[in-house]
Amino acid sequence: MWGHYNYGIFIVMIAAVIAFLALARERDDLHKLLLIDLIEILSLGIIALLGTDLAEALILPGLTVGIAELLALSQIYCTKEGIRSNPIMGLDIEVIKKADAPMILSIFLVVYGMILSGFTGGAVAGLGLVVLFISRSYREDLNLLEMASGISWALWIFAFFIFMFLPGFWFVALMGAAIGILLKVTVKMSLVGTMWGEQHG
Amino acid sequence: MADFIGGLPYYILEFGDELVYFTPYTITLFLLALAFTLLAIISRPERQMDIAFGGDAYRTKDISISEMRFRRFMAIACGLASMGAMVTGDIFNFTLFTAMVGITNVGIVAAVKSPHVQDAAYQYGLVALSATVPLFAGAAVYAAATGSLSMIELMKGTLPAVPLVAKAMLVTGVVGEGMAPFYAAKAEMFRAPGAPYVIMCSLSSLLIFLRVVEVVMLG
Repeated sequence: MWGHYNYGIFIVMIAAVIAFLALARERDDLHKLLLIDLIEILSLGIIALLGTDLAEALILPGLTVGIAELLALSQIYCTKEGIRSNPIMGLDIEVIKKADAPMILSIFLVVYGMILSGFTGGAVAGLGLVVLFISRSYREDLNLLEMASGISWALWIFAFFIFMFLPGFWFVALMGAAIGILLKVTVKMSLVGTMWGEQHG
Repeated sequence: MADFIGGLPYYILEFGDELVYFTPYTITLFLLALAFTLLAIISRPERQMDIAFGGDAYRTKDISISEMRFRRFMAIACGLASMGAMVTGDIFNFTLFTAMVGITNVGIVAAVKSPHVQDAAYQYGLVALSATVPLFAGAAVYAAATGSLSMIELMKGTLPAVPLVAKAMLVTGVVGEGMAPFYAAKAEMFRAPGAPYVIMCSLSSLLIFLRVVEVVMLG
């Protein structure tokens, strides 16, 4: 295992050297920020190379801290450059009528995600819903979806309480947690990108 | 017998992943961070003045209350992060607290509406962000080589020796979060008005550096 780890570390180090060289040559502030985001991935890569449960537990806080710094810096960049948010007015010059993508793709992904269940299943099913939202110029009140996400999250946490206090009912808890995380990840994934342009009009 | 660098621990709290211990060394640093956080809470911010040389004209810089409030909040957050870094007994938690000190240091000055200060804060933030790479990588190599992130376990001397690379990366990361060569980027930041809060920037990086010396000498 140690041998594989050494090779992995070596490759990540080469990638890090390339990324830092790029950073040293870059002069534009925004591009620097983007490059650093790329470098940040490498540190997560080194942690991930451990390949244990511990590594998984360490990646999440590492990722969170990285994102927090990135958000803070991009906020400073916006104030520094005097960038304000200006609402984008959609140009209504549709020349070619968009044809809707076939529904079968989304249905396949959602069904397959439900069979997988758990976190992975949620991601796959969510991808199916994303395809549906993107391809079908869908306009819908998304508050309901957000509520579903919240409730399924509560279900997930509730299942953990069953694990802790009533370990005899572990099977119920397992099913509850699996369904809860499936729904939560599905809904969260499907909201990615769709909430973006909500304040126009 | 375990080799305690900072003296015998008075108290060790082992609660799952969370490992906290107080030795005479860390408790001193902890009390220093605590005292400065309390000072940041109770003190009244300065009002910076510009005086024209050769005349008797001067003007006071106007600073809004909301800006000061934000900076006080950031200074307190910075104090809390330094306190956490002083007492934690887990290598990865230490790196997380250090990264948080980096963010809050940027935050303390980021609210200032001066373009110079904003620019300096941005550049310093870029350095702090890239310093998290060696920081986390160092912690990961610690875990890979010894199989433990607990400082108490590392002190016992039963684990394999920590590779020098891991120690070097950990120190590089801490240095990048606000020490010597990269400290130059902070110079412009110190021109920001608001005395007690800016002090927190330099104090926190000093404390973090004193602590990493102990951490590196453990394994």
